[in-house]
Formats: sequence, C-alpha cells, structure tokens
Amino acid sequence: MKKTSYFIFLWVLLHSANLSAQSPFVKDTLDASGDSVVVTATRTERKLSNLTVPVTIINAKTIQQNGSLRLTDILKEQTGLNLTSGFGAGIQLQGLNPDYTIILINGEPLVGRTAGVLDLNRIALGNIKKIEIVKGPSSSLYGSEAMAGVINIITDATMGAPLTVGLRYGTYNTVDANLETKLQTKNFQYQGFINSYNTDGYSIRPNSNSRVTTPIDRYSTTQQIKWDLSSKTNFVLNTRYTNEQIQNEIAVANNGVTIYSIGKEDINDLNASASLNHRFSKNLKTSLRTYTTTYDAVQNLLTINGLPYRDVLNHNFKRIENQTDWDLHKNVQAVFGIGKVWEGVKSSRYDSEKIRKQNDIQYAFTQWEWKASEKFTLIGGVRFDQNTQFASAYSPKLSMLYKLNPKHQFRLSIGQGFKAPDFRQLFLDFTNAAAGSYSVFGSAQAQQVIAKLDALGQIGILFPNYYSLKALKPEYSNGMHFTWDWKINTSSNVSLQLFRNDIKNLIESQQVGTYISGAQIFSYLNIGRAFTTGFEVEGQHRFNSNWSLNGGYQYLRTGDKDQIAAIKSGTVYTKNSQGYSRLMKLNEYVGLPNTSTHKLQVKLNYNSSKGYYFNLRAIYRSKWAVNNNNGNEVFDNGDVFADGYVAVNSAAGKAFKNGLGIQVGIDNISNYIDATNLPNLPGRTFYTSIKYQLQKNNK
Amino acid sequence: MKKNLTKIAMGLGLCIALVACSKDEETIVVPVSAVTVKDLAADTVTGLGVDGRPQSAGTTTYYSLVDNKVIASTDAASTKWDIAFSSTKILVNSGTSGPGLGGAFVYVGLFDALKSIPADSNFATDNANAASFAIPFGSGKAWYTYDGLTTLVSPIAGRVLVIRTATGKFAKIEILNYYKGGVTLPATASVNDKLFKQRYYTFRYAYQPNGSKTF
Repeated sequence: MKKTSYFIFLWVLLHSANLSAQSPFVKDTLDASGDSVVVTATRTERKLSNLTVPVTIINAKTIQQNGSLRLTDILKEQTGLNLTSGFGAGIQLQGLNPDYTIILINGEPLVGRTAGVLDLNRIALGNIKKIEIVKGPSSSLYGSEAMAGVINIITDATMGAPLTVGLRYGTYNTVDANLETKLQTKNFQYQGFINSYNTDGYSIRPNSNSRVTTPIDRYSTTQQIKWDLSSKTNFVLNTRYTNEQIQNEIAVANNGVTIYSIGKEDINDLNASASLNHRFSKNLKTSLRTYTTTYDAVQNLLTINGLPYRDVLNHNFKRIENQTDWDLHKNVQAVFGIGKVWEGVKSSRYDSEKIRKQNDIQYAFTQWEWKASEKFTLIGGVRFDQNTQFASAYSPKLSMLYKLNPKHQFRLSIGQGFKAPDFRQLFLDFTNAAAGSYSVFGSAQAQQVIAKLDALGQIGILFPNYYSLKALKPEYSNGMHFTWDWKINTSSNVSLQLFRNDIKNLIESQQVGTYISGAQIFSYLNIGRAFTTGFEVEGQHRFNSNWSLNGGYQYLRTGDKDQIAAIKSGTVYTKNSQGYSRLMKLNEYVGLPNTSTHKLQVKLNYNSSKGYYFNLRAIYRSKWAVNNNNGNEVFDNGDVFADGYVAVNSAAGKAFKNGLGIQVGIDNISNYIDATNLPNLPGRTFYTSIKYQLQKNNK
Repeated sequence: MKKNLTKIAMGLGLCIALVACSKDEETIVVPVSAVTVKDLAADTVTGLGVDGRPQSAGTTTYYSLVDNKVIASTDAASTKWDIAFSSTKILVNSGTSGPGLGGAFVYVGLFDALKSIPADSNFATDNANAASFAIPFGSGKAWYTYDGLTTLVSPIAGRVLVIRTATGKFAKIEILNYYKGGVTLPATASVNDKLFKQRYYTFRYAYQPNGSKTF
C-alpha cells in the first residue's frame, strides 16, 4: 500500500518534469508510475530528476508508436547514437566503438560479440517496458569496460494486460508475431513472451544476387517470474532464449580476389538470471544474484570453389553477485557489491575449438550518495576488478547534481574505466579462406605462431611492429560529462550536454607481416591514444494536448592523438587533386573513421484522446570517413567518405478502447540507399500491424 | 587547358635547360623542371580470371627518363631504359632487371623539397632471385597502398622514388595516379572500371642530366 503511494508520488514528480513524452493515451494499460524510476544509473531505484548522471528513458509507448521491432530500430533514433554495420548492427555512443557500451537485459550483460560488436538485431522489443540509456563512464557499476555507457533493457511482469497478441506484416515478407501473457496473483507475477520474426531479406544492389540482408528467421522467448516469499523477501527469475537462422550469400573481396560463398548461420543465445532480494529493515536491503548466459554461433559456408568454411563461437559467462544497499543516515546511502565472473570462449578461430579459453574476474564495488542539501547531491564510487589474465585495476567515479532552482539543474560526472583485452585480441588464430587467406593472430601467441611458420619457410616479410608485439595492456579511459537541464515552462524543456572521453593504449589490429603468397598477417597492438568530445542539445516542446515536437543534435569531434602529433610535427602528407603530395594541415584532419560530426533527429508527435496517434521522425547523419585513399593512414578531407543522409520514418495508428490497436508505417520514406556504407538501411519499406490486449476487468 | 600550358612551360623549361647545358658547361645552377607523363599503360587488364583475379598478358613497359619516351621491350636487355612498369611493380635498370647502372630508394618527403640527394643515400638494386627490389613490391611498402575492400590502389602521399638511371645519372619521381586519365576512382566505381582503368600510370619526374645529385 505504502509502496503504491510512493510510486504515485514519483509518477507525479516525473510527469511534471515531463522528460519523456507522455500523453493520456492508454493510461489504463500503460502504468506510467512504473516508468518513473530509473535503476541503471545508480544500480538502485532512483527518481529520474534526482540522478547525478544523464539518463535517457525510452518507454514502451514510444517503442510501440514508432513501430520499432528490434533494438536497433529504436536506438538509431536517439541523440548521439549511431549504428555501425560491420559484424552485425552495433551501436556507437558518443563516437566510441560498440565494444565500449554494455548491453544489459534486466541488469545482466549480453555476450557473444564478433570483433567487439554485439548484434542488436538479436533483441526483440515486443515485451519491453522501457530502455534506459546511461551515457558516460559513471556507469562503471556494471563493469569497468562500460566506458561509453550502458543500455539496459527492462521487462517487467508487474504491469500490463494479461494477454497481448500482435502481428505485423511488411515489405520483403517480413512477418513479426508476438504473444505475451501475464499472470498476477497477490504475491506471484509471471510474464511470458514469444516473438517470431521472419524476413526474406532484401537486395539493394541492382543486378546482383547478393542480398544485403539475407533470409532470417528469429525466435525469441522470455519468461519472468516475480514471487513475493514474504513482505520482505522476493525472488525474481528471468530466462531468455533466442534462436536465429540466417541464410548467407557472401561475397568477400581481398587482395583483388572476390570469393563467393553460400551457407547458413545458426545462433543460439540463452540467458538465465535469478535473484533473491531481502529487506532487513527500512534502511537495509540485500540481493543475491546469479546469472548464466551462453551464446553459440555456428556458420557453415561453401565457397564457389567448393571449399567448406566453418566458423564456431561459443561464449559463456557466469556470474554471482551480492549487492547491499544501506541507508546509513537520512542523507547518506551506500551500496556495496561483491561478485565473481567466470567467462570462457571456445572458437574455431582459436588454435583449437575444443579448448575453452577461460578468464575469471573477482570484483567489488561501492558507491556512496550524499544528499548534502535539497539542492546538492554528491555520489562517489569505485570498482575494483581482479582479473586472472591481467593486472588488477580500480575504476573510480564521481558525480554530482546541483538544483539551482526548479527550472535549472546541473550535473557533472567524471569517471575512469578500463577494458581488458578480449579473447579474440589474445587468442585469435584465424585464417580466412573465404577472403584471400589472410591471417589474424592474437597477441598472446602471435610471435610464437609466426616464428613457427617462418621456420617452415611460409613467411614473406615481417614488419618492424612484429618485433614490438608483447603482452597487451588494458585500455584506459577517462570521461567527463556536464549536463544542464532547463525546464523553460510546463510545455518546453531543453538540455545541453558536454562530453569528453580520452582513451589510451587503444588496442588495434595491425598488419605485422605477409606470407610468401603475399597474403597479410595481422595481430593486435596497444597503439592508439584517442579522444571523442562534443556536445548534445536535446529539447522538447508540447504545442497543445495533441501535438508535440522533440529533437536532439550531437556535435562530435574525434581524433587519434598520435596522428595529431604527427601532423603537427610536419610528417604527414596528403595529395591534391592532381596527385601532388603536400604537407597535411591540422584543419584537414577529420578524426576517427565511421564518426560523423553532426547528427540530428527530430520527431513530431500527435496523440489524441480518442487513441489516434501519428508520428514523423527524421534522422540526419553527416558524412563519415570510410577509407583512406592517399596512403597516409590518417583520415583527411581527401579520403573516401560515406555521404551524409536523411532517413524519414513515419507511423500512425489507433488504439481502441476495447484493447485493439492497429498501426501502419513507412520507414525510409525518401528511399535513401547506400549499399556499401549502410547495408542495414533497406530502401523504403511499408508495414501494417494489429495488436490486441485483453483488458483487465477491474475497472 | 591550364594543365597543358604548365606542361608546355615545363617542357620548354627543360629544353632551355638542355640547351643552356650544352652551350655552357660552366653553368652549375641549372633548374631542373619536372615533366609529367600521363596514362602510361603497364600490363593493363584483359579480363577477370575464374580465380577472381584480374588477368593480363604479363607485359612490362620500359621507359627512358632521359628521352622521356617508351622503349620497346625488345630493348629490355639494353641501357636504353631507366625504369620499367608492370602492374604495381616498378623495376630499375639494374641487377636481375637489366644491364644498366640503375638503382633506387624511396624517399619520404615532398617532391619539390628534395633539392639534393643526401650523400649517405643507399641506392638498392633489383634482385629477383632474392625477391628483393630497389622499389619494394607490395601494398604499403613503397609507393602505394591497396585497399582490399574497395580493391583500389592509391599512391602514398609524401613518397618520392629517387632513381639512378641506366647511365648512372639521377632522377626523382612522384607517382600521381594509377588509373586512366589520372582520375582517382571512387570506392563505388563499377567492377569494370576498377578492372580496366587500372595500371595507367600518371607520374611526374625531374631528371638531372649533368650527373649531379641536385635538382
């Protein structure tokens, strides 16, 4: 009873803050009170307006009204987030690569990354209650490698209709079907969800049989149980299983050779977590969490020459953790955590696919929150990781919130993180027969393997950096974020965010030599020092009870500090249009590849009291460097860029009182296509969907 | 138009220089002008093989820097040529490539800034038996990089090939382009363009006929 009033209180507060677009539509099924609490930022429940770090919340209604099916669909429409397209669809957050963002489902990490990228198309959104995006390194509560941020996908059994069914049909025979059931008794809650997604895939290269997205069948099911053992103790169980079957028609070009292969990829992804939560008193609660996940991917290809190619990746991750929240004083709250991770990978890309490479991590973290006054809150925290493969490291963070007055709030967060070399960077032993027989060797054994090949007379040339191969050091980062929130009036607000991230010891793959045949040999070295910096402006305005507009813009600068130093010292050259070399100027430097200086997105929203809704969303991304074409290894104005583009998406629908909902939508209205650089963006697609929610009869 | 004028001016400059040279041996300060050679075909592609590799006849184009002209391959075993091209490979008239006094090294810097060849420079010669060439073969080694994804060859900025000619005199070369018409192909160019417009060298060079190491 007390809890309910607390939630209502929070809801009122949040609603007045109006940080996520709200409207009275489907008030009965969308229990907005649940949306008001953020768990990701501090790892304990907090009101959005009391957080010391910037958090974006995407709620279920936004996901549904946008017609988003997969996690990629909704993330690409967020300020400061860009999709990357190598090795599945990853997310680039504030200019940092996908491996610096941790993806969580109900607080537990997903594994199974290829080249550091977690394919976000794996995640169906049908049963999502909300998505929380925490930007900046202060998120190190979840793991030191969350240097860019944390994206937490939250499902919740405690709200919503007892039965929901949904069906959607779209271009390329894309069929998405959902079934969600909820069962609630006084102290037991269950949510079950099944999603099936099938598509024929699409070909956006004219006169080509090579489809950009090939036929895919994905099945996904999640189950959640919440069981109140007593008024003070509850138990939560989450399971998730995803199976993907992807038909492959691959053309790989390397060293002037294009090799075509056909085959199939079979991916199984299983996650299970259980937590036991107990509240000893008003001031003290603890939870014991266990989590296990396995990602298993098998790719079987046959090249056009009849050469079989098999790729296996089996990644498992087990974790046990205890977290205790203790309110020492009415203004001081402390969080203590301790845990252990067992992580292992078996892969055909390592020396033997039968031997599991293992890494164990023991860790502890603590966080102290001090509410110094009504206006000022300070949070300090530190995480300690003891890694069996590497040295131990601390990741400290500090963040603060200052509420100048009801209209202005300032937040500042500073943090440090580190990312240990991953399994592939250490153990990869991979020769790609499907692409010109180049090899990549992990740093742990590169010299040994290459020396052996050399003794067999297979090595052509060894580059100077071969001799500097040594044990990889972790990458270290420092990040700083400053946010100013300005609530202009009840219908408008705007926020400004400044950010800066510095990374040293960047691990990059580099060519270290060649075979006699000329095929390249790569390994990993700590070479770079990079930074990303910029600002974001987000705002929203409500014109009246029906119409609202929101948008965000990100300005981003990135760079490699060593390259900048080389340009300044006058040792970097570029070419003019006639091919004459000249010294490169610093203002010609464009920074890291795949990063765009500008990103803008605008969304116009209509919601009527009768349940009609309409939205029009435009996303602009400015050009980004993709290839170096003057051999200076530095990206400058003269290099190859992907063109900037605008994608416009729109959806409209109606939610009927009886629980029926219909929707039609068009994605990429202007039919923008760039097969080379945006393989994940099909041309114009249409869809229509129908949804039915069985209404609770307690009204 | 402008390019042609420059070329004519350059050519004129070279002529005057040569004339000046022959007229008065005492003149030491001879400004050596650069000449640009366009679209020199070097074993151009005839088709795509079943293995996915470009096919060609395997020819070599021999060039005289002294006379600024192509030398017939029948003169391959003579000192008439100074430098030879075959796809991305560049040979000098030395060692296993020819009977000349040739040699070369790769200088990192700007073409115009290279006013005199450093005294301690080491001119290498070609030795096919040891797979060692004065101008090393391969991406990133000497004058170009090859991008496996776009399948394009790009000359590296800030690389000058310093050449000792077949008769022991000196020249410097900058490769400007590898594609027909001296136009860099975009990454999105058609497979046919990438295949058939490659192996056309555009380069500029300066030759010092007086035997000194200054340009």
